[in-house]
Amino acid sequence: MKKILSIGFVTGIIGQIIGVAVGIGLLTGIRALMGLAPKTEPAAVLGAVFGVIGFMIGVGGFKDWFAWAKGEDTIEAEEFHDQPGIIRYWGYSLDHKVIGVQYGILSLLLLVLGGTFALIFRAELAQTGIQFISLDFFNTLIGMHGMVLIISILLGISALSNYLVPLLIGARDMAFPRLNAFGFWLAVPASITIVAAIFTGGFDTGWTGYPPLSVRAPLGMQMFFVAVFFAGWSSILGALNLIVTIIRMRAPGMNPFRMPIFVWAVLATSIIALTATQLIGTSFQMVSFQRLFGMGFFDPAKGGNPLLFQHLFWFYSHPAVYVFILPGLGIISELLPVFVRKPLFGYKWVAMSSMGIALVGFLVWAHHMFTSGMEEYLRVPFMYSTLLVAVPTGIKFFSWTATIWQGKMRFATPLLFTLGGIMVFLLGGLTGPPLGTVATDLHLHDTYFVVGHFHDTLFGGYIFPLFAAIYFWYPKITGRRMNETLGKIHFYLMTPSFLVMTFGQMAVGLLGMRRRIADYDPAQGFQTTNLIVTIAAFLIAVSILIFFINLFVSAKKGEPATNNLWESRSPEWAILPSPAPQHNYEKPFSVVGDPYDYGLKDSKFVETAPQQSAD
Amino acid sequence: MVSSFPSAEYKVLMASANPLFRKGLEKMVLGRYGESTTLRATTTTSETLEVMESWQPNLVIVDYDDKSISRAEFLHQFVTGDLPMQVMLVSLQASGAVVVYDRRTLTPAQAQDWLSSPQFLPNPPHSEAQPARRNSSMKHYVFAGVLVLILTVLVDLLLSVTRLLPVQASLQAQPIDRLFDIEIIAISFLFSLIAVFIVYSLVVFRRKNGLDEDGAYFKSNNPLEIIWTVIPLGAVIGLSYFGAITLGQTRQADPAPIEIKVVSGQWFWRFEYPEYGIVSDKMYMPVDKQAKLTLTSLDVIHSFWVPEFRVKQDLLPGENLVRELRITPTLVGEYKVRCAEMCGTSHAYMESPVIVVEQADFDAWVQGELAAIGTDPIARGERWAKNNGCQSCHSVDGTVNVGPTWQGLFGKTVELMDGSTAVVDDTYLLNAITNPNMQVQVGAVANVMPQTYKDSISAEQLSDIIAFIKSLQ
Repeated sequence: MKKILSIGFVTGIIGQIIGVAVGIGLLTGIRALMGLAPKTEPAAVLGAVFGVIGFMIGVGGFKDWFAWAKGEDTIEAEEFHDQPGIIRYWGYSLDHKVIGVQYGILSLLLLVLGGTFALIFRAELAQTGIQFISLDFFNTLIGMHGMVLIISILLGISALSNYLVPLLIGARDMAFPRLNAFGFWLAVPASITIVAAIFTGGFDTGWTGYPPLSVRAPLGMQMFFVAVFFAGWSSILGALNLIVTIIRMRAPGMNPFRMPIFVWAVLATSIIALTATQLIGTSFQMVSFQRLFGMGFFDPAKGGNPLLFQHLFWFYSHPAVYVFILPGLGIISELLPVFVRKPLFGYKWVAMSSMGIALVGFLVWAHHMFTSGMEEYLRVPFMYSTLLVAVPTGIKFFSWTATIWQGKMRFATPLLFTLGGIMVFLLGGLTGPPLGTVATDLHLHDTYFVVGHFHDTLFGGYIFPLFAAIYFWYPKITGRRMNETLGKIHFYLMTPSFLVMTFGQMAVGLLGMRRRIADYDPAQGFQTTNLIVTIAAFLIAVSILIFFINLFVSAKKGEPATNNLWESRSPEWAILPSPAPQHNYEKPFSVVGDPYDYGLKDSKFVETAPQQSAD
Repeated sequence: MVSSFPSAEYKVLMASANPLFRKGLEKMVLGRYGESTTLRATTTTSETLEVMESWQPNLVIVDYDDKSISRAEFLHQFVTGDLPMQVMLVSLQASGAVVVYDRRTLTPAQAQDWLSSPQFLPNPPHSEAQPARRNSSMKHYVFAGVLVLILTVLVDLLLSVTRLLPVQASLQAQPIDRLFDIEIIAISFLFSLIAVFIVYSLVVFRRKNGLDEDGAYFKSNNPLEIIWTVIPLGAVIGLSYFGAITLGQTRQADPAPIEIKVVSGQWFWRFEYPEYGIVSDKMYMPVDKQAKLTLTSLDVIHSFWVPEFRVKQDLLPGENLVRELRITPTLVGEYKVRCAEMCGTSHAYMESPVIVVEQADFDAWVQGELAAIGTDPIARGERWAKNNGCQSCHSVDGTVNVGPTWQGLFGKTVELMDGSTAVVDDTYLLNAITNPNMQVQVGAVANVMPQTYKDSISAEQLSDIIAFIKSLQ
């Protein structure tokens, strides 16, 4: 028992339960003292907020900071040592690699959860009529599918960048190890809170939570708001930490244009996350306050405007999709040269295109509002800025093509997922212009065409690269490689299924199937396509099940891979053994060449300083 | 293998008659390749060739400004050797421009460049540019280019013969569909461009005979990058321009349209014809006559969309947020307006008929509607209830729905949310319609019913509706 209670995760959960009780009790108690009847919604919101704080206290997130406040000393992050074995992933660690894996586990858990939601409502959509679930539950599920997967993606990106960035730039850890751990653990109670939304009435708004609908939605809406608020906070802290780490902690000789390309992508992503996430927190908080305190921000009867919400919301939520895809595109650029044995073509252009996408991404938000009834003169300028994103994105595609051109491919699983990512993201990119030009968007807005387009961009820009990255760096974490055969089955099952799914979605969308509908008119002739889409979705689920089997089995039984398995020039392979030791590089390395000079004889990217110790 | 590290000894040979050349580069070379590097210098062509043969340096640095080093002879020696060797051409006059050639990848085109005159690239000294592959891979570009064109035509053909869009039934849909066609061509071309070059490379340049070799070494080409930045930039500006023109065409306003006020609520549509004083739950439109829709919502945001008409516009709550949409139906038929903005529980079912008829049939419908307003308050009440969408939440046959059923409602004693009970009489019903949150029945949810009926339904119509409810025993 005592052993169980020493696990950070367990004490965190206990803290959250206590926090929820305190929050509900406090509000109800104050109201009772004032002679007022108990009120559910404010009590629940305060309970949820206190619950998150309780979790952070319970898990030990404030321990060092409390100690400093009392004037006590704490150990430096450098001296911090984890418990050996799997148990370290369950507690408050300061090691960026442990935190990276923790992020990864939570992200994959939410990926499964969000995917399961999709399977449930896809089963419902397999034929017309309502078969399995109620309308309200369906509506809750689509919103949950969206937001749970958004949080999963944010955490997945944090997993990749936390684990990889210090290794790639030669740092011993992140710039702020405590903030790093705090950022991760904040996401845990946030995830618990969003799941709680299902059990508190759900919400029927989709993930966008537009008022006035979200003002009238059940209590689950408030849990959703609280969860997004804290998940956003976690994302901001992580981004801040990454920016400082990338700017301040690079190895000697690693000037900005010798950074691995993934680091550029993380930098661009982090700038967006640091500067835009506040807006989604604010917009949801304003709806929450409208519900709790009657503040009429978005209520026309009180002088508010529902369109204001959409502007605030999309000012984050559009750049957010670049947060989701830029790291994935970075992974593609990072892995391609290793497997085609050629330099990354136009390194500087690829690096700068990430920054270009990040910059232009801030200027396009109103393309989600072409039919919203915003001021009409805004539509054309936002169409121009939206299509402008095609330019830096095009640079990436052309550079990848030139990188592949005359390459000598090694068809390992990570390369398959990299190529799959390029092709799927290409489809996502090409289905963008009809949505970006206002006239065609008048037809396509809020249809399944958008759903298909969006899944193409996120599978191509995140899911495929994520799998590529996991297959690629798995030996760095475990010292064993994942099974190639299972990896290939995963790829060859998932890719065609996915293409069938999104082509089907886009086809019914063009023909007039609206987003977020629990049922569709048989007269529109969508049944067959919808059935096929549902079958394809389940096949994707099967392929991902194979992936998880591979993931777990290979940890114990995989082929040992302790050396430079992929013959990469990157320091974490060229210098470090697998699994990577705690605190990374014993001696700092220096950068003596370009990162991707594959095919250039006798060139090196990094080298360790010669041994200088006396013995 | 790339991962193989350079041998402990790295041999660099510098060929120049100019002693300053050697001095200037010595430090850079040592710094770059480490202190263990061995340096040798030669001053004439014959000496250089001799040392190359006997000493086998890893790298030869040739002074490009020195005419006493014969390029042709040197090149001959360089390409005939078989050990890995690189040559670096350095010009101190052309502000330190550098060109690097690798013995193993040297192409005839490069050799030609080299012999005629130095192709100094505008790159800084560090970027070892490699203007490789020109003639040798020209045929690949031609093949791939032809394949791109073929695939473009095939994809465009496939997308054109597939029925992608619903029937085109409005004037506004015509320019939109034309823009779709332009975009489909662009999509077909760009897809083919990327897909062909990638797949071609996978197939043609694949590893053969199990050889584990590296790909061709070239890493950047700024003119090419500028080309594929500027051309797409022009293309997107062009596409945006077309998009803006098309948008303008969909918004052209007729001076004398028929006015229809579209009112939406959870989960119904109501269509008001102020010219005729008609309120209907179906939208009748005369064909080939522009309709000016003024759109508003009673509760949350909805979106007016008839897929066959293409255009879509959200309906916002609030008197100051009334929006407008112009539609000219061109094809007689029955369509449906389908709410396209998530609006709560029954969003999927928020559909109402849109009926496009000839002008004569439209006039007949108007006359019929006006005549149908009879003298029986119950019949009128039924009509008002239907037109206001009451039945989307309240059944008249006892079926359980979002709101209480009207069957047997009058005279019933109901339990309210605040714990009290009330008898349903005229006053109760009037309050329930005009101020629905005042008395919420157990089992119903507050705030679901629109609170705007006191303004939007006249007192006479309200009493008709109550009469209708009374009749449902």
